[in-house]
Amino acid sequence: MLAQILILVAGLAIYAGYGLYGLCYLLIAAVITWLVGLLLPRHRWLMWPLIALNAVILACIKLQPVTQWSMAAPLGVSYFTLQIIAYVVDVAHGKYQPERNIVTFGLYLTYFPHLLFGPIEPFDHMKQALAERRCTWDALSRGGARVAWGLFKKLAVAARAGVVVGTISAAPEEYRGAYALLAMLLYSVQLYADFSGGIDIVLGVSQMMGLHLSENFNAPYFSQSIAEFWRRWHITLGAWLKNYIYIPLGGNRRGGVRKVLNLLITFLVSGLWHGVHYLLWGLFNGIFVAFGEGFKTRWKALNCGVTFLIISILWAFFVWPDTMTALESIGSLFTTFNYGALAGNFLELGLNMGEWLVFLVAVLVLWGYDLFQKRLSLWFGSAVPVLRTAVIAVLVLLVLVFGMYGIGFHAEEFIYSRF
Amino acid sequence: MKTKRIRTVLSVALVVVLFCVAFALLTRLLQPKYATSLTEGSMISQYYQESGGHEVIFVGDCEVYANFSPMELYRQAGITAYVRGTPQQLIWQSYYIIKETFTYETPKVIVLNVNSMRYSEPVSEAYNRLTIDNMRWSSEKVGIIQASMTEEESFFSYVFPLLRYHSRFDELTSEDFRYLFQSQYSTWNGYQMNKGVEPLETLPTYRALASYTFGDVCYEYLDQIRLLCQEHGTELVLIKAPSVYPFWYDEYDEQIEAYAEAYNLDFYNFLDVVDEIGIDYSSDTYDAGLHLNLSGATKLSSYFANILAETYDLADYRLDPEVSAVYEEKLLQYDAAVAE
Repeated sequence: MLAQILILVAGLAIYAGYGLYGLCYLLIAAVITWLVGLLLPRHRWLMWPLIALNAVILACIKLQPVTQWSMAAPLGVSYFTLQIIAYVVDVAHGKYQPERNIVTFGLYLTYFPHLLFGPIEPFDHMKQALAERRCTWDALSRGGARVAWGLFKKLAVAARAGVVVGTISAAPEEYRGAYALLAMLLYSVQLYADFSGGIDIVLGVSQMMGLHLSENFNAPYFSQSIAEFWRRWHITLGAWLKNYIYIPLGGNRRGGVRKVLNLLITFLVSGLWHGVHYLLWGLFNGIFVAFGEGFKTRWKALNCGVTFLIISILWAFFVWPDTMTALESIGSLFTTFNYGALAGNFLELGLNMGEWLVFLVAVLVLWGYDLFQKRLSLWFGSAVPVLRTAVIAVLVLLVLVFGMYGIGFHAEEFIYSRF
Repeated sequence: MKTKRIRTVLSVALVVVLFCVAFALLTRLLQPKYATSLTEGSMISQYYQESGGHEVIFVGDCEVYANFSPMELYRQAGITAYVRGTPQQLIWQSYYIIKETFTYETPKVIVLNVNSMRYSEPVSEAYNRLTIDNMRWSSEKVGIIQASMTEEESFFSYVFPLLRYHSRFDELTSEDFRYLFQSQYSTWNGYQMNKGVEPLETLPTYRALASYTFGDVCYEYLDQIRLLCQEHGTELVLIKAPSVYPFWYDEYDEQIEAYAEAYNLDFYNFLDVVDEIGIDYSSDTYDAGLHLNLSGATKLSSYFANILAETYDLADYRLDPEVSAVYEEKLLQYDAAVAE
């Protein structure tokens, strides 16, 4: 229990560094949810006002993305609000008993490493992880390697892709057609390396403390359809949407038309969770999930390629700051054929030849890791301590030399921490 | 079991040691060497190769290391001097460099170029690096870093320069490998020789400033420099080198004169005696009046050598066999470089 208190206090202290108002909101939300949770088994109706209150607050923040109100939004509000709703619904439905220990509950809601961008942890899983927490050499070395690997993804891959994406997205009038496509493809890499890198750091740090949290990615760009992609990308958000939106709506139990409608609603909610600008992105994803399975071929590589291309094009809503620009950029793929110009100018997009080379090698390493992830994990688990330490040391040196950080870079900023 | 555990701990410790060695090697490889290009960055460390015993130490920006030649001071009056100048040296940097100098030697005279009084806040990370990176670690280095850092800089990157220079991996040249474990000596007691000629064609235009008053922080450091010199029994001499750029305003001059008078310090503004020195800006500057070339520096150094010798009880080391042996050797090399 002492360790739990220490982790809780340390997390809250770090959180306080981002603003005292946010901390107050988080603490009030945690205490109210904990108290209501205790009453829920006898007063199930209390679930509704609490869900409504949280949903309204979150919607207010998401519907006004660039106002002072959203700027002052508590850090990680999108994530802990989902956890509050999940806890309240689960307790009300008797999935598990309300937590009587406020430290355990507080840690579930305010555990700092996952407040920024997940994973969105179910309470029973978090409680079990806390109960089974063990600090061992195995956990420490695995966690250390995972943190180093996450930093490599974030600083060597995502930061480099981000330079080119930033150059192109800053001048949408100038960069169209092939440039827009390059930005979308590179953003796919950037977002994956940035988000999954951040998650690796969160899971790695937790693992070093003996906590095993849920995985959030499973080599998503090897998916053969958009539906499969969403089972392998941001897995914990997908699970939350499935459990608390899609299934309560009826899921696939009420016929084909209703299933499609439920899918579209679920993806619209997913879009809204990201922000009002992402509604269309959510809708398109819903359409591809609902109807995409029928277009799969028997060639796996082709399916993967097509899925990656569609997902990349849909990321356009993330690359460009407003919906119209995103749609125009997607449109320019079919109207502006300037691939020759891109081939001659790709060194003017912010990376020199050496940087491009490092980026391409780093992407290949990332791709190889995703392909052989299970085998590599088994090998690392069977490796002697000296070899594990050597792997971590090499990774750290690679990050130090080939990472993009320092003056002009904001290595501490993660794309998904702003949602 | 116990032996196995000890072996494991030792092997992990070995990996950690190897990591530290690799880290140090990478740092050395990726740090700029300042050996054949941008040599100003290695000036600060060249002082540490000296054996001390300098009676005059010059401190300041490029206006000292480009304009004053210690070899000429020796030739003219037997003065042993060293120029601890670095590019755009700021007044707080001068303070810490003087403080560091006192840990190695106690000169009779510290000559401070007051051009730096115009800057009351950190200016550029690049200039900071040229001055600070190659300083030896000491409390003075900690102080100079803390005083000089711009907002975007971090102290940590001075402690571990790899964090700053890691992105040079694709800029490495043969210089980085050639000077991996050695440094290139590029100055004569801190003087950077330049023999080129680019005449001054137009005088800089007077541009009115919003304020001509030196910042409080500049005065604070000037006070600290004065007190430090006083504490060590060293004469502090203020100068303004005869560089035409950047423009030296009358208001600046008045403030320095008032300060010098208030604390009984000598102040020499060489801009006022350009004709007396014999500086001809059509032939004595290598960049149209910003810095003097060898010819101009020789004239200025000879002129100042007489002032120093006559005013400040300095020994004539040409008469000291031990010191003169060292300086005559240096002079031979210097003259050879002049003749090249």
